Amino acid sequence: MNNDNAPETAEAFFQRYGRDIVVVLPAYNEDQTIARVMDDLLGWGVQLVVVDDGSQDETYRIVQDYLKRYPGRVHLYRHLLNRGVGAALQTGLEAALKRRPRVIVTFDSDGQHHAQDLYGVVRPVVMGQADAVIGTRDFQEMPLHKRFGNTVMNLITLLFYGHQVTDSQSGFRAFTPQAARLMELHSSGYGICSEMVGEVFRHDLHLVEVPISTIFTDYSLSKGTDTRIGLKILIKLIRDVFK
Amino acid sequence: MEFHLYQYLGIIFGVVAFLFTLSRFRKGKLSLGMLALWSGLWIIVILVSIFPNATSQLALASGIGRGLDVVLILGLIGCYYLLFRMFNMMENLKEEMNYLIRELALQRGESGEKEEDEG
Repeated sequence: MNNDNAPETAEAFFQRYGRDIVVVLPAYNEDQTIARVMDDLLGWGVQLVVVDDGSQDETYRIVQDYLKRYPGRVHLYRHLLNRGVGAALQTGLEAALKRRPRVIVTFDSDGQHHAQDLYGVVRPVVMGQADAVIGTRDFQEMPLHKRFGNTVMNLITLLFYGHQVTDSQSGFRAFTPQAARLMELHSSGYGICSEMVGEVFRHDLHLVEVPISTIFTDYSLSKGTDTRIGLKILIKLIRDVFK
Repeated sequence: MEFHLYQYLGIIFGVVAFLFTLSRFRKGKLSLGMLALWSGLWIIVILVSIFPNATSQLALASGIGRGLDVVLILGLIGCYYLLFRMFNMMENLKEEMNYLIRELALQRGESGEKEEDEG
């Protein structure tokens, strides 16, 4: 039987491309979830770039253990002081590019994302169908305050960057290395999410949105963009206009 | 010329501030431009304290009612300007700090790969 016509499975896909996929994990005080997130991702055969953003808990020590268990597959970078998720992502993207990947993925360390969604997010980039992919969450599944905050941020992204996307604040994204090199990112906080969207459109990169599932726990709900952070981002964007 | 208490206080404050500014400049903690700016300001404080009626001329010229009002309004505008400048300086410092911390992190990255034995 000719196996070339058999539908591709995620397992076969990652067996072939896994080592060329680098997942960037920005982490700040994530000792409750980082091990499980790393286990799930490493199960797909990918490389990990973990950026510890000045954590004061056991995050750094936990990831150091993974360096010994997975030499050459886990890479750890540490900010001596907490600078924000934007700064951690910038460090992570720069570190990932050194690995000459086929795809760079950003993934939250708070257990909000499913590693099973990695295939759907990464495949369009590997197959040359997209320069950038955003994993979009189902807003109907979000608690009201998160839904409100993320909707406002979508509006702010539209207002300041001129483009509408379904979920501008999703931390689950994939890029070609060329796209990652082109993006000029400056935000050190959660504003980087909107900034990335702006950069994708500024460089006329082909963006694809892929639905992903979200795990909402009390822990993951305490992280990420909410109305207060959204207001801070708005104030900073307005201030930047007058700079 | 009879001096009131506020004039004495104004002169003393202006002189102390001027001397402190000079000291900062001598220690290299103030640029020449800033020395000129702050010295000028403290000299104006001293002169206004000695000749408070001079502000009335300024009030007439600007159309604001009283000399004191002129001083207060100019002072307020000056404060807001300085606040805005300081805020921007802080943001610039934050960006420079981010750059340093990120560069340090990238230089010290760990991969757990075996290091080759040397010599």
